[in-house]
Amino acid sequence: MNMNVIEASGLGKRYGSTWALRECSLAVPAGHVAALVGPNGAGKTTLLNLAVGLAEPTAGRVTVLGGRPAGSPAALDGIAFVAQDTPLYKNLSGGDMLHLTANLNRGFDQPYARARLAELGIPPKRKAGKLSGGQQAQLALTLALARRPRLLVLDEPMAMLDPLARHDFMASVLTAAAEDGVSVVLSSHVLAELERVADYLILLSRGRVQVAGDVEDLLATHRMLTGPAAEADRYTGRPVVHARRAEVQAHLLVRAAADDPVPPRWEAHPVGLEELAMAYLREPDAAALPGPARGRNPEPTEATR
Amino acid sequence: MYSDQHLRVSDAEREAVSGRLAEHFAAGRLDQAEFDDRVGRAMTAKTRADLRGLFADLSETGAPAVPELPRGGGSTPGGGPRGPGSPIEFRLDTASGVPTYLQLVHQVEHALRLGYLKPGDQLPKVRDVVASLAINPNTVLKAYKELETKGLTAGRPGQGTFIQAGLSQVALPELAGLRKALLGWLTTAGAAGLDEDGMVALFTSALRDFHERRGGSRTRGGAASAETEGVA
Repeated sequence: MNMNVIEASGLGKRYGSTWALRECSLAVPAGHVAALVGPNGAGKTTLLNLAVGLAEPTAGRVTVLGGRPAGSPAALDGIAFVAQDTPLYKNLSGGDMLHLTANLNRGFDQPYARARLAELGIPPKRKAGKLSGGQQAQLALTLALARRPRLLVLDEPMAMLDPLARHDFMASVLTAAAEDGVSVVLSSHVLAELERVADYLILLSRGRVQVAGDVEDLLATHRMLTGPAAEADRYTGRPVVHARRAEVQAHLLVRAAADDPVPPRWEAHPVGLEELAMAYLREPDAAALPGPARGRNPEPTEATR
Repeated sequence: MYSDQHLRVSDAEREAVSGRLAEHFAAGRLDQAEFDDRVGRAMTAKTRADLRGLFADLSETGAPAVPELPRGGGSTPGGGPRGPGSPIEFRLDTASGVPTYLQLVHQVEHALRLGYLKPGDQLPKVRDVVASLAINPNTVLKAYKELETKGLTAGRPGQGTFIQAGLSQVALPELAGLRKALLGWLTTAGAAGLDEDGMVALFTSALRDFHERRGGSRTRGGAASAETEGVA
């Protein structure tokens, strides 16, 4: 399946005089767990709200699941969305909420939802407000998954959870991806735990897409060079994304393939997702937009300094 | 672990469930006819849902709680049941810096060398690995593909991935020669003033270069998304 689960072109959203999201063009292919990363206020929630149809774009357009306009009935049927802080009706029980959600949605898989709550040991009669944070998140996820979506959108799903609950929550999400082929787009700013989870990265910064691409491709085309600081300024072999230097030694994150020749006296190391994302976050002017946003200059902007 | 209702159960699980029914019988919660009926149903149960149904009306006090239904023998903290079929269970070292898929590959190779895995054995199912480690399904698929490329495993449609071949060790005489050569190198390094940490650092660095030169061409993720479709 080669469709895109989210496709945006020239997408923008303005609140008053402030652009929360600007000139956003991207295409997230199906079959991935895509991480939407960026500092607070980068536009993550705005982008997700536009994609699920909770907000209207000021400029441009966004479609989901192979060209269905965001917010259209066809789009809504295939998407499930869990908003920030997993909002639930705190005075309703899990069982009540299943009943309610089943009546408000087409194609709600009630037996699946009940079985899942039983599996999780969530008492169906207890009010949502009395459940633990992890159970509340799992309840919200259950309601979302029981709609049997093709695309699951999660906005900061783990922000409030302890480590064990995070692990279990992500295990649930990833199992849905493995078993039912659900595509997932989730926003987070906890880079370390995305490393094993995400295989597609979208990095937003100041309302624009800074990096987008398959994680493996991104990691294969970036390396960390470590060598003498005196030579760091004269290094022009490959585009430098970010440089860190001390008196004697310098680290350069460069765009270069693994088999790229290493300059003498320099040592090359592969980079991880967290290191890569951090480097770009520190250099908001650098960009890596392979594949998807072809409308823009595919070559990265050389970082300053 | 959350939607394992449809998973098929083993004889060991059926027996464990019968044992728990016996406890309920002993405690007076079930009469003889009910007990016989339920044990009969346990013995012919096909899925976990069937087994769980047997405890639907039984109190959780005095006997193990129903969620503690045997999970294929392995305890998987925070994660899913291990497929009853596989003799091994993966773990992850997040601090090692080794890519996740490679860690899985190494663990299978290691288990083969140590005899935990033999030809014909089944590797854990993709969904079970995903559920227990909370990692991306494509990562598991990539590891399994790598093992298949190496000729160590073969996928059987609809069943899973199975060990196909053992790992041939380097013949022993060669091993002795290699060891001697390495000892010679260590002696030279020591004479040159390198301490043990220095030797390890140098060896690790050289090994990394060697690894990169040999296995530099990494499979690209383009194909991975297509594979996901085959998982369900």
